[in-house]
Amino acid sequence: MTIDLTQFHDAFFEESFEALDSMEAALLKLDIGAPEPELINTIFRVAHSIKGGSATFGFSDIASFTHSCETLLDELRSGGMQVSLDISDLLLKTVDVMRAMLRSTQSKQPLDMQRVSDIQFDVELMIAQKNAAGPGNAPAKPAAVAPVAVAPPPAPARAPEPVSVAATPMVAAVAKHWEISFRPYRELFARGNDPLRMMRELAELGELKVEVDTSALPAFAALDAQSCYLAWKLELAGDVTEDAIKQVFEWAEGDCDLDLRLVGAETTAAPVVAAATASAPAEVAASNIVADAILSGNTSPLGIPSPPLGVPSLTAQSLAARSPAAEVPKHEPSAPAAAAAAPTAAAPTLTAVPSAKQDASIGAVGDSGSIRVSVEKIDELMNTVGELVITQAMLSQLGAVLEGTNAEKLRAGLAQLERNTRELQESVMRVRMLPISFVFSRFPRMVRDIAQRLGKQIDLKLTGEQTELDKTVLEKIGDPLVHLVRNSIDHGIEMPDVRIAAGKGAAGTVHLDACHRGGNIAVEVSDDGGGLDKDRILAKAKQRGLVGQNDVLTDEQIHDLIFLPGFSTAEKTTDLSGRGVGMDVVRRNVKELGGKIELRSERGKGSRFIITLPLTLAIVDGQSVAVGSETYIIPLISIVESMRLKETSISRLSGHNEVFSFRGDYLPIIRLHELFGVEPRARALHEGLVVIAEGDGRRVGLFVDDLLGQQQVVIKSLEANYGHVEGVSGATILGDGSVALILDVAGIIHAASMRATERPATERSAKEPPAGAREAPVGAAA
Amino acid sequence: MNKRKQGAATRTTRRGRAAKTPGAETEHKSASGTFAVAAECTVADAGTLKSGLAKLLDDTGVVTLDIGSVQRIDTAGLQVIATFVRERESLGRQVEWRGAAPSLAAAAKLLGLSSLLKLPTPAARAVETAS
Repeated sequence: MTIDLTQFHDAFFEESFEALDSMEAALLKLDIGAPEPELINTIFRVAHSIKGGSATFGFSDIASFTHSCETLLDELRSGGMQVSLDISDLLLKTVDVMRAMLRSTQSKQPLDMQRVSDIQFDVELMIAQKNAAGPGNAPAKPAAVAPVAVAPPPAPARAPEPVSVAATPMVAAVAKHWEISFRPYRELFARGNDPLRMMRELAELGELKVEVDTSALPAFAALDAQSCYLAWKLELAGDVTEDAIKQVFEWAEGDCDLDLRLVGAETTAAPVVAAATASAPAEVAASNIVADAILSGNTSPLGIPSPPLGVPSLTAQSLAARSPAAEVPKHEPSAPAAAAAAPTAAAPTLTAVPSAKQDASIGAVGDSGSIRVSVEKIDELMNTVGELVITQAMLSQLGAVLEGTNAEKLRAGLAQLERNTRELQESVMRVRMLPISFVFSRFPRMVRDIAQRLGKQIDLKLTGEQTELDKTVLEKIGDPLVHLVRNSIDHGIEMPDVRIAAGKGAAGTVHLDACHRGGNIAVEVSDDGGGLDKDRILAKAKQRGLVGQNDVLTDEQIHDLIFLPGFSTAEKTTDLSGRGVGMDVVRRNVKELGGKIELRSERGKGSRFIITLPLTLAIVDGQSVAVGSETYIIPLISIVESMRLKETSISRLSGHNEVFSFRGDYLPIIRLHELFGVEPRARALHEGLVVIAEGDGRRVGLFVDDLLGQQQVVIKSLEANYGHVEGVSGATILGDGSVALILDVAGIIHAASMRATERPATERSAKEPPAGAREAPVGAAA
Repeated sequence: MNKRKQGAATRTTRRGRAAKTPGAETEHKSASGTFAVAAECTVADAGTLKSGLAKLLDDTGVVTLDIGSVQRIDTAGLQVIATFVRERESLGRQVEWRGAAPSLAAAAKLLGLSSLLKLPTPAARAVETAS
């Protein structure tokens, strides 16, 4: 019976990608020269778990590559090598390669194996160079391990050979060996079995490499001293028969999962073989950690002259023991290794008990107290909750008009239902919320790379990373932010000499900030660079004919120009920016999310882009208003206030334009009934109400018949179900089952100004863009 | 650190076996952050070992495990010690070793637990050569 491992692939990939993210973050935090051990451990663990997982699933090229990384990392971890800028750069590249490899494996797309082997070569070269520097520098750690394993008294049968730490795995990596996965059940001890005895016996059979899996170990308090929580992955090299191994585990049969596998050298497609063999020497260093115990019982008959490359973990003593080979530390993918690689094929797996091998890689995450749920499931839940909210609203409305002895009780129940529904809705919403650090985390690396490429010095400051927002919003805000940050570095921050000349520090600062502001999220990208060059932007715009030659523009209008498609002032196009695609896409993306982007810039001081986004795309707090027989929802965030107008505060301008005075300001009035072609109950302005709403930085008064009430409404996409309508961002279903449109204030302002310009078209100059056939949407379009 | 009352109590109930090294120290002693691991640390003693160590788990100072007298240890015993060390470490609290126990070191090595335990090998070696 075999287990279909493919079912675990997705989880593996997902976890690996996350792990790589954390590895990257840790790499970026590494201090050159004085790295924090915990960071190196984190990095190491990632490489290690990816290696383990990919080996389990048979992605041998990934396993081989990560193995090399692991070797290098182990050198760093043990202090055998110092973290240098070169190494951290190289490790960052390995992250990229691992990501690419995982991605290509996941999507089953071909991969640039050249790059993989290039980087892998670099990694091994780095290790080899360290070795060349002299084994005297070798860390003390292996030495520390070496002399311990002298046979304990109760094992008289043990072979008397001294233990050699490093000499073995090189052979193990190249020659065939047994891979044993030994996962005892809890009650193993109770049945009188002791894994220690088995290890001892195995060590007598051949060279044994032990890797213990402690992931199942509970907290100390929860530990049942009589239960076995440990599991092992063993590598047994040497001329050992399957029967001999089985005999060792004979008594434990039925109390453990045992998986025996005879493994030859890697057998994979051509480019992979190259990679795999190149990595073989690297096995040695890794053995320090993975294999705490390497015991040479019988010397392996397969003792191929070990490539001298892997010396890193050798100590002075062990070097002496195997002197002649160890003299030439030079990087050269070993011929013997390749030779050994060729003829061997992986032997069939012998499964004693259905293997629980995958637990090692997947179950290891189990203690984080979280589960993975697909987004679809949550969306489904969200949708159902949305329907529930509608049903609840319907019942509430019905309950309000009911009369009778039980009506009061019913209303109390309905009130509770409403409360619970809201709580449920909020809980589901929270499930979808993720901290914005998910997006921010990609920036340190990106900034570092770009800064390096441009020769600029950039300090990246991240704040408010814990601010949470909806996953959908989060996913879509990533690219715009990347554009903005790139722009800041490329166009905003000056070269160090320019900065110093301007009296600033050599290093520029790019600041990413996120915070809650009202019901919205504000994400800000600011820099202390040169700011926007308004004259140049204006000149460029005039040259392009985007602006009339004699037009005088306000600062805001000039800033607005950079959001136009195809607009760029960059002298030359680089791969970073200057193509003129970008800012318009940024604005479009932000608008699609129902957000807005503002730009503030001061020449010589820097620029600030402020993106305001809704917390979620699924629900909106709305004010329902009545216009004639229709109900519309105005998002509460857009509303400044509502008021009844006095006749005296209204002024009429030329044409149909009406304005009213509002705190010393004159705001235009938009009659919604006119815009939407609905027959109103109130035509005179003082009969109805005016809702002062804000959109795109402008305020208007929306004239409605009446205010109905505030409620949370579930947004149903109009685009998905009907089509885009200017001035309407979506629709919702009301308690009585009717459909209400959710207004998009910015769109309404736009639509209204179009109508205004359309009407007196003859009076106006041709400066305005020709208004296309724009239908005024009517009533309930959905 | 308080003295092993509870440990002794468990011991008497658990102790059913006679396969003890004669004359060997079987009590796990704990005094002022130091814990003397008993000579016998097999599955039968693991419970006692655990309850003895449990008292030191939250000790904010350095806990010293004296393994000088350990003669027999098996996977269960080592598992208890390893869990203890791991938990102390995760709490950012130190564990130090005193004495040397070749059997314990060898067992740790065979079980792949050496790096987790961070045993002081030089000391172990010294004792080893001395004996």
